[in-house]
Amino acid sequence: MRRVTRTSTQTWGWGGVTQVEQWRELVSVAMLGTDRRNPPEPDGLIADLVDDTVRSTPSERMLAQVAATVAVRRAGVLPGAPLSPVDGPGTDDRPVCVPAAAERWHHIVSSWPVLEDEWMLSLVMNGWRVPPDLVPELLTRHRTDPIRRARAELACGPLAGWLVGHLPELGARGAAGAQPDPSADDIAELPPLPIPPDLEPLLHADGDVVARQLARAIDAGMLVHAHRAVLVNLIARMRPDAPGQVASALEAIDGGSPGFPLASVLADLGRTRQRMLDELSVS
Amino acid sequence: MWSVEQVEAIAPTPAALSAARPLTTLTKWGGLGADDRAVWGSCRGSGAEPYDTMVDHVGVGFRCTCPSRRHPCKHVLAMLLLWVSGDVPDTTAPPQVASWVEAREASAGRRGPDTTFPPSARDTAASASAPTSDAISDALPEGEREPPPEPDRDRARDERIERMFAGLTELDRWLDDRMRTGLADPALAKYATWDELAARLVDAQAGSLANRIRRLAGLVGASPDWHSDVLAELGLLHLLAQAGRRLGSLPGPLADAVATTVGWQVRQADVLCGVPDTDTWVVAARSDTREDRIEVRRHWLRGSTSGRWALVLSFAAYRQSLDTSLIVGTAVEADLHRYPGPALRALVGTRHGDPIEPARPPAVDVVAACDEVGVLLAAEPWLDRIPFTATAAVAVDGTRFALTDSGGSLPLIAGGRPLATLLAVAGGGTVDVSCEWTPHGVVPLTIHLDDHSIDIGPRADDSFVSAA
Repeated sequence: MRRVTRTSTQTWGWGGVTQVEQWRELVSVAMLGTDRRNPPEPDGLIADLVDDTVRSTPSERMLAQVAATVAVRRAGVLPGAPLSPVDGPGTDDRPVCVPAAAERWHHIVSSWPVLEDEWMLSLVMNGWRVPPDLVPELLTRHRTDPIRRARAELACGPLAGWLVGHLPELGARGAAGAQPDPSADDIAELPPLPIPPDLEPLLHADGDVVARQLARAIDAGMLVHAHRAVLVNLIARMRPDAPGQVASALEAIDGGSPGFPLASVLADLGRTRQRMLDELSVS
Repeated sequence: MWSVEQVEAIAPTPAALSAARPLTTLTKWGGLGADDRAVWGSCRGSGAEPYDTMVDHVGVGFRCTCPSRRHPCKHVLAMLLLWVSGDVPDTTAPPQVASWVEAREASAGRRGPDTTFPPSARDTAASASAPTSDAISDALPEGEREPPPEPDRDRARDERIERMFAGLTELDRWLDDRMRTGLADPALAKYATWDELAARLVDAQAGSLANRIRRLAGLVGASPDWHSDVLAELGLLHLLAQAGRRLGSLPGPLADAVATTVGWQVRQADVLCGVPDTDTWVVAARSDTREDRIEVRRHWLRGSTSGRWALVLSFAAYRQSLDTSLIVGTAVEADLHRYPGPALRALVGTRHGDPIEPARPPAVDVVAACDEVGVLLAAEPWLDRIPFTATAAVAVDGTRFALTDSGGSLPLIAGGRPLATLLAVAGGGTVDVSCEWTPHGVVPLTIHLDDHSIDIGPRADDSFVSAA
């Protein structure tokens, strides 16, 4: 192929009519095959590119023309006509929660989903909103549970409805889409978690008391891995000032203790909840 | 014990694995055995003597007395398949296997090649229990072996060029047939039509074109205007087939570009010997795509001083890990070693410091972005992904979303979470977004904010590879 010497007066690129028509003609011939229809005569730039080559058969001429046309189309890539940007969502005056809180949400979802309800509720109650990039994840995650969906939409603000308007696949499904909006009381109440009666007093006890008792029982092997689920529930619902103290007490358990693996896991839960509440304190 | 996927991953070609399958019957084997280091056996082949086959499954090395030039050969693959299916008994290694393993250990200590065997039977030592990406794509095993003597190398290269030229001639003939019979030919709807051609191109050392053919097979019937997409790709294949047969008359950089696009492999060691391109490289974007059984990760880097783009690839087969050392939204001062030709591919050499965070590439408007893309496409029309960073807003064009500003628009081909995130972050305003241009539209990969970047590029399936 030789270098193009003629300046094209045609429009080459997305939206170019002449080029589009020529390409359509090539596609039509290609669909039928050159055994049934001859390729179109090359024109303009393409003729310049292929006219110095000796091609004896229609299929060879067709291939050369297609190759040259594709190369020219690509090199001449042009933008389409300007479009009107989408209108933005309504304003939301609430501040975006700190980045650490958003990162904490990811940790909670992957490791301690029992804390997610409280994370969302704390965020909403304390006047924060989630960063925009978290909105699709929240809407996708909470599609079917009406109360959680309502909390997620509150956390996202006007951006939630606006986004669903553009991307209906993010909309509520099942019960969340069919039932009327839950009441404010329902939204503000954390779901109950099963806790055995002998651990219930620890729910409202001082942090240092709970920390001491839990650490001693785990270290002594009285609370073992079989109790993990109820201990998780306890730490997730104990007084907001207690998780930090519990985490410190559990972190202090010796690595050689048989209760160390359970203690370290629960310490992470306690520390996660403590940090979550700190990050989402009143804005 | 390996998995079947790991055996598949070391196969030099899918055809080699297919050739191995008929040998996975115990009646073809004698003296099979395995221990915690090696697997061995004798396969009755077409020769008078059985082929002695042995595999170091810990250090990953192979030996077979068959004359095949492929490593691992079909006998090695067949024996490994028998082993992973539990058909090879645990026993004590015979003396020749034990001495081979000892020799391997000794040579590993010296980091040198195993010279106790002729080159045709020399080990192909891939790293760990599965080859790294670059072992797959870059002939890393060759790089780790001692080069053959000069006359052998010249002869091997000449033979390889001859096979490649023959393959390109056959490809062009095949394309010509497609033009004659037309895209409505029902044969095009059969994957075998494409796969057979791809297998022949692999045999002809044109592996990259073979991958292109397999991707092309996926376009048939994939969209209402698939005829147009397929025709465009057939045109580019013709361009490459013609250019590949005229390598000697092409300008140097273009010849390099054509050769590597066709499938000429360049050893990593050779690339790393090149002059480094030292800069503070902003990791602008990342995208993962599955190609056949390999996950490919692309990191797009942009030099802070030079303004030049670079592409760093990593590969992973099943259960392997992709490169996680380059973090989107950071910058790293490093030596980059570029592959031959004008293409963007490079290897990261020495890093001169810790990543700097946050970092973002400079953004241009939509028209300038098209100019950047066009310049690269004019040099290499067959490129199918080109990076750019633009400042733009999101718009709706009929049923399709687009990036737009006052100068023009570019259609988006994102969907799902990436599109939702872009829309949510941009709202009705503009954002700086790093994208990949493709022939079908623009894929948004990264949203750059003042204090951090949001990586929204396609991500590999965690159940297939480690891609955190």
